Amino acid sequence: MPQLKEEAPTTSLMPNKPTKEQKRKNFKKGLNQWKEVLPFLILGLIGTGVFVIYPLFKGVVMSFQDYSPFPGAENPWVGFDNYLRAFEDRKFSYAVRNTVLAIVVTVPIVWFLGIFFASLINLTFVKFKITFRTLYYLPIITSWIVIAFLFQYLFASGEYGFINYLFYTKLGIFNEPIGWFQNQWTALVVIWLFHIWKTVGWAVIVYLAALQGIPKNLYEAAEIDGASAIDSFRFITIPMVVPITIFVIIHLIMGAFNIFPQVYFLTGGGPMNQTEVIQTMIYTEAFQHMNFGYSSALGVMMGIAIFLVTWTQQKKIGKQNYY
Amino acid sequence: MKKQKQILLLLVSMLLIFVSVACSSKEEASSSTNGDNQVDGNGEVVERTVIDYWHTYGEQEERVLYNEIKPLFEEEFPQYELKLTRMPFEGLKQQVITAVAGSATPDLMRMDIVWTAEFAEMGALVDVSTLDGFEEVKEQLFEAPMSTNFYDGGYYGLPLNTNTKIAVYNEKLLNEAGFTEPPATMEELEEAARASVAAGSMGGIGILGLGQTWEWLPYFWSLGGTLTNDDFTQYEGYLNSEASVNALETILSWHEEGLVTPTILNGQPGFWEGIERDHYMMINDGPWYFSILGSDQARPDPLDYTVFGLIPEGPAGSISPIGGENISIFQSAKNKEGAWEFLKWMTSEEPQAIMAKGTGLIPTNMEAAQDAEFLQIPYVPYYVEQLQTALPRTPTPKWSEIEEHLSLNIEMVFRGEMDLREALDDAAAKADEYLSK
Amino acid sequence: MQQRVHFFWKFVVYSMLLIGVILFIFPFIYMILTSFLQGAYTLPRPHEVLSAKPSLDNYKEVWNNHNFARYFMNSMLVAGVAMFGSLFIGSLSAYAFARFEFPFKELLFRIFLFTLMIPLVLAIVPQFTVINSLGLVNTYLGLWLIYIGGGVVGTTFFLRGFFETIPKDLEESIIIDGGGNWRIYWNIYLPLSKPALGTMAIFAFSGTWDEYFVALSIIKEESLRTLPIGLMMFQGQYASNWSLVFAASLIAILPVIILYIIFQKKFVQGGQTDGALKG
Repeated sequence: MPQLKEEAPTTSLMPNKPTKEQKRKNFKKGLNQWKEVLPFLILGLIGTGVFVIYPLFKGVVMSFQDYSPFPGAENPWVGFDNYLRAFEDRKFSYAVRNTVLAIVVTVPIVWFLGIFFASLINLTFVKFKITFRTLYYLPIITSWIVIAFLFQYLFASGEYGFINYLFYTKLGIFNEPIGWFQNQWTALVVIWLFHIWKTVGWAVIVYLAALQGIPKNLYEAAEIDGASAIDSFRFITIPMVVPITIFVIIHLIMGAFNIFPQVYFLTGGGPMNQTEVIQTMIYTEAFQHMNFGYSSALGVMMGIAIFLVTWTQQKKIGKQNYY
Repeated sequence: MKKQKQILLLLVSMLLIFVSVACSSKEEASSSTNGDNQVDGNGEVVERTVIDYWHTYGEQEERVLYNEIKPLFEEEFPQYELKLTRMPFEGLKQQVITAVAGSATPDLMRMDIVWTAEFAEMGALVDVSTLDGFEEVKEQLFEAPMSTNFYDGGYYGLPLNTNTKIAVYNEKLLNEAGFTEPPATMEELEEAARASVAAGSMGGIGILGLGQTWEWLPYFWSLGGTLTNDDFTQYEGYLNSEASVNALETILSWHEEGLVTPTILNGQPGFWEGIERDHYMMINDGPWYFSILGSDQARPDPLDYTVFGLIPEGPAGSISPIGGENISIFQSAKNKEGAWEFLKWMTSEEPQAIMAKGTGLIPTNMEAAQDAEFLQIPYVPYYVEQLQTALPRTPTPKWSEIEEHLSLNIEMVFRGEMDLREALDDAAAKADEYLSK
Repeated sequence: MQQRVHFFWKFVVYSMLLIGVILFIFPFIYMILTSFLQGAYTLPRPHEVLSAKPSLDNYKEVWNNHNFARYFMNSMLVAGVAMFGSLFIGSLSAYAFARFEFPFKELLFRIFLFTLMIPLVLAIVPQFTVINSLGLVNTYLGLWLIYIGGGVVGTTFFLRGFFETIPKDLEESIIIDGGGNWRIYWNIYLPLSKPALGTMAIFAFSGTWDEYFVALSIIKEESLRTLPIGLMMFQGQYASNWSLVFAASLIAILPVIILYIIFQKKFVQGGQTDGALKG
C-alpha cells in the first residue's frame, strides 16, 4: 500500500513538547518513509552527492588552502589569505564591476523585451503564434561556441565587419568603423548584446505561457463592464503575471551572474582584463595560473553573493509552478 | 509487476544498444592506431608497447609526423608503437592539469617552452638529465633552446623545435619608402616607416599586440631593454632600469607618431592580411606562416611579395626572443623507457631534418640545421642566423603570471592610462614578488 | 472582436514582431550565406556575403575531410544517452519529491536548489578525480556519469513542480489494481508529463551536445572526441576561413534545431536559464 501524501503530515512542528515515546515513534515513521522513497531518490542522491555536492564541498576546503591538485602536494592551510588576496587584485575589481554591470544592464532589457514580445504574440488577432515562438527561441538552443564565433564575425572591426558595414558604410550612423573588441566599453556592449540576444527568447516563452494561462473569461467580463484594453492590461494582466515576473527576474539575475561563455569565447577577458567577469576569472586563475586556492575562494564568494541576492525568493522558487 | 519488468527490459536493452554502438565505434577507431603485435623478420611475434604522445602540431605538420616520422621510428624500434594524439589549443592547459592531477597523463607531450618550468615545478615532469645518455644528446642540441628546459638544477625535457622572429617586409612598400634593402638598424627602420606611413601605408613597424611579451620583445631587447639579471632571479633594477625605460619610450614614441601597425591595440587588418594587401610595410613573425600560406592555393604565396631581414640592430644589437616547443616525459608515464628512447631519437639528426624539410620548423639538432636542402628554403637562413643572438624569455614557473601583469601595465602605458616609468617599476616589484613565492 | 482592431495597429504590431524576428534570425542567415562562399580566407565583404549562391562544397569538405562525420556520431551518442539518463533519473527524483513525505525533504530540496546557483567551473578537477579513480577516463561512461549526475538537480527541480499538479485521485485505479509506486510512476506520472519531459529532453540534449570543458578533460582519444572539441580545433586551425568554420558550425547546431522543431509543439515553458557548464 503506497503511502499517500495526505496521510503523512510532518510532525516536527508539533506545538507541545514530544515525549520520548512520540520521538521514537516519529523516528520510526521517518525511517519507514525513507525506506519507501529511497528507491526513487537513491540514484539522484548519489549522482548529486558525488558530482555536485562533493566538488562544491571540496571547493570550500580548497579556498582555505594553498592548494595544488597534483599528487603528493602538501596543500598547507592559509586561513583567509585567498579571500584577502582578491581585494588587492585589480582583475577582481574589474570582474566584480563587470558582473554587476551585466546584471544591471541585461536583466531589465531582457525582462522588458520578453514581456513586450510575449504580449504582442499573445494579442488575439496575431496569427502564426507558434512560428513566432519557435523563431524567437532559436538563439537559446544554439551552441554557445557557435554563437561566439558568429558574434566575433558580425562585430569584426574594420569596414567589412557586418555591424560596421551596416552602421558605417550603409547608414552612416557611426563616424568610423568601430574596433569592437579593442576597448573595454565597446567589448562589453558586444558581450551584453550576446547575452541579451541569447536569453530574450526564454523570457518570451515563459511570459507567453503565463499570459495564455490567464482565464479568458476575466477579459470578457471586463469588456462587458466597459473596461478599455489598457484597463484590462493594467488590472488583469499585470496582477496575474506578477508572480511569474519574480521568478523570471531571479532567473535572469542568476543567469547574468553566471556569465561565462559570453566572455570566455568572445574576448577572453581582454583588453587588459577589463571585460573579465567572476566566472572567467575563476577559470583562468585555476587553469591558466594554477592558483586553485584563490580560484576556489572566488567561487565561494560568488556562491555567497548569489545566495544572499536570491535569499528572499528561494522558498518561492522552490515551490512555484512556473508553467 | 509485469509492467515493471518490461520497463527494466526496455531500459537495459536501450543501454545495451548504446554501449555496443560505443564499443564498436571505439574498436573501429582504435584498430588503426592500437598496438597489434608485429611479426618480425624471423616470423616471431614481437610484443609492442605503446608510447602515448600528445602533440599540438597543425594539420600540415601532423601529416609529416604521421606519414614519415611514425613509420621511421617504428621501423627502427619495432618493440614500440607510437600513438599520436593531436590536442586542441583551447583549454590545453586545463587538460594537462586534470590529467596530471589524476595521474592519467600520456607518456610524452610537446609543449610550449614557457610551460616546461611551470609543470616541472608541479613535479609533473621527469628530470631527463638523470637518464642514460643525456649528455650525448645534449651535446648535439643548440644551447639556447636547451636552456628553456632548465629548472632548479635539472632538465625537464628536450627542445623539439625552435623558432624566433625576424623582420618581414612588403617589398613594394619598402621600395616606395626609398629602401632597396631591408633596414639594418632601428634608425633606418624608423626612417622607412615614417616615409611609408607618409606615403599612405597603415603601418611601418609591426607589433601584433601587447598581450604577450613575445610581440614587442624584439624591439625592446634590441633597443637595450632588459627583463632580468643573467640568471633570471631578479627584475628590480633590470626591467625598470634606465635602459629599459629608454627602450620602451622609443617604442611608445613610434606608436604615438602612428608608425606602428594598428594591430598593436588589436586593430585590423591582421598581420598577414595587412602585408599581403599592401597595407603594412613591415611585420615580424616566426616561420610557420610561410608554410601555412605557401600551401594555400587561394592566397598568393608570401614569398612573392615579401623580403626578409634580421630584426634591425639597436644599441644592444639584433635580439629576438626564442620560441618553440619542448618535449617532456610525464612523471606518471606508463612507458618511461620507451618515451626516453623516442626523445633521444626524435632529437637526432634524421628525424629533425625530416620535420624541418617537411614543415619549415627549425630543428634544435645542430647537424640537422645544417641540412643543405633545409637551408634552401628561402626564409630559413634568416631564422637560423637570428637564432644565434636570440634570448629565452624568463624560464620560471611563475612566468605566466609575471607576463600577464607586465603586459597589462605595458598596454595601459600605450593607451595612455599609466605612466611608463611607474608601469615598469610596478611590474618589476610584482614580478619579484611572484618569484619569491 | 477582430474587426475592432484597426488596420494601423495590426500593421504596427506585425512590424514589431517582424523586427524581432529579423534581429533573432538574421545572424543565422548571415552565417548560412557565409558558409556558401568559396575560399573566404579573410573577412568576406558583406555585399559578397549577401549575394552568395547556395553551395554545399564547404559542407562536403568539412564532413568528409575533417572528421566531422565521426565527431557528429560521437556527439549524437553522448548527448542521446545523457538525455535519456537525465530524464530517467531526474524524473525518479522529482517523483520522490513530489509524491512522498519524508523527514528533511524540504531541507534536502533547498540544498539541491542551492547547488543550482553555484558556479561549477571548478568542479572539473574533483569530478575528474572521481572518474579517474573509477578507471573511466577516456570512456563515454565517465562522461555520462558526470553529465547525468551533475544534471539531476536541474531536472528534478524542473519536473517536481509539474508532477505536483497531477491530481492524486488518478492513482486510485492503479492502487485498486494492486499496483505500487513504480506503476504509478510509469503509468500515471510519466505519460501525463510528456510535455514537461519533452522540454527537459531538449534542455538535456542541447546542454550536453554543446558541452566543451568536461568533455575536453575526460575524452583524450581523438576518435572519441565530440563536436564542440572538433569545432574548437577546427576554428583554431582555420580561424580566418569563415566559410569553412560556419559550415562546420551549422553542422554542429542542426541536430538540436531539428530536435527542437520536433518537440516544440509539446513544449512546456520554463526551466533554467541554460547554464552551459552545468552539463
